[in-house]
Amino acid sequence: MTNMALRELASLEKYLGLKKPNKYSTQGDKKVPVLQNNNGPPLVGLVTIACHLVKEAQRPELLGDSAESRAVVQQWLEYSVTKLNSCTKEDSKTVLKDLNVYLQDKVYLAGNQITLADILMYYGIHPLILDLTIQEKEQYVNVTRWFDHIQHYPSIRHHLPVIVVLRNRIYTSRHH
Amino acid sequence: MKLFISEGNPHCLKVLSALGVTGVQCDVQCVNHEERVVPFLSRPAVPALLLPNGLYLFSSNAICRYLFEVNGQESSELCNQWLEWEATDLQPALLQALHMAVLQGKGSEVSKVLQSPLNFLDQSLGKGNTPYLTGEAVSVADIVLWAALYPVLYLPFFLYFQTILCQSAAQKVLQGKGLQGMKSYMQRQPAPHS
Repeated sequence: MTNMALRELASLEKYLGLKKPNKYSTQGDKKVPVLQNNNGPPLVGLVTIACHLVKEAQRPELLGDSAESRAVVQQWLEYSVTKLNSCTKEDSKTVLKDLNVYLQDKVYLAGNQITLADILMYYGIHPLILDLTIQEKEQYVNVTRWFDHIQHYPSIRHHLPVIVVLRNRIYTSRHH
Repeated sequence: MKLFISEGNPHCLKVLSALGVTGVQCDVQCVNHEERVVPFLSRPAVPALLLPNGLYLFSSNAICRYLFEVNGQESSELCNQWLEWEATDLQPALLQALHMAVLQGKGSEVSKVLQSPLNFLDQSLGKGNTPYLTGEAVSVADIVLWAALYPVLYLPFFLYFQTILCQSAAQKVLQGKGLQGMKSYMQRQPAPHS
């Protein structure tokens, strides 16, 4: 089975424009990613490594541009690694329902700028969105709008298939 | 800025300890377990911090991180790594351990459930030459791990844990009742998966 975390890290590297792909290993039953770091001890964990890559690419704004937004970004990063893996059908409904309310008045998870939280949440929530019926996509209209926006954001999608969101129906209420 | 806590909720230990260590000024309000403080979450989530910009933090680790950063201590990569380990590895084991100890009266089996994460922590502390997890000074990682483990390790057998004095936060959350102080909180948590 392919390790999702490693694919997410490879896609993130491409998005960040990092020239040299890193080599990763995994540890433990949960196959937690490990990055051998030339300048120090190895780094362990998807979020930890992802934050390291963002710094390496000198894109600190992707971690938030104030203490408040940095905390909000970290909160959603934690949410994506703790809530989205091994999520039951019931859990996934709660996740989608809560995110739908949260995203009602937001373009991105941490406000008006894209951050690492949007990218990892997009990777993590992809299987959940893939399972949705057309009716459910309309029920979670704010999540679908955010999801569609991220999947069409330049060079984030990579290894994942596009999920069709029926824009016409979802957006009709805005135009009429 | 306003911090919402509830009695007997082990996650509140983390944020109150972080508040105590950093000395950040903040309103603290005690609510009951059922109160839905964070408007967009369908399940009650306490502790929660209402930020000056009107956004809510509902992750206890993110709240601790924020309090430390406001106090001028931004978390290092090593801190990030410990906080991620705490959320993904330690918490599921702790939830199971507390469930057994508090609700099923199987306190003797707690050490079995926690053996693997505690060994890992102990080995990491043994390898380093520093008194704290990430260096010479207390960091957000020390507070988060100390508070997470306090309810199950409050018998004083780790010197490491005794060096951080957050006893008043523990008193406030557990009311001197130890594990039983968390009973009404634990009764409202979903049973662990395994």
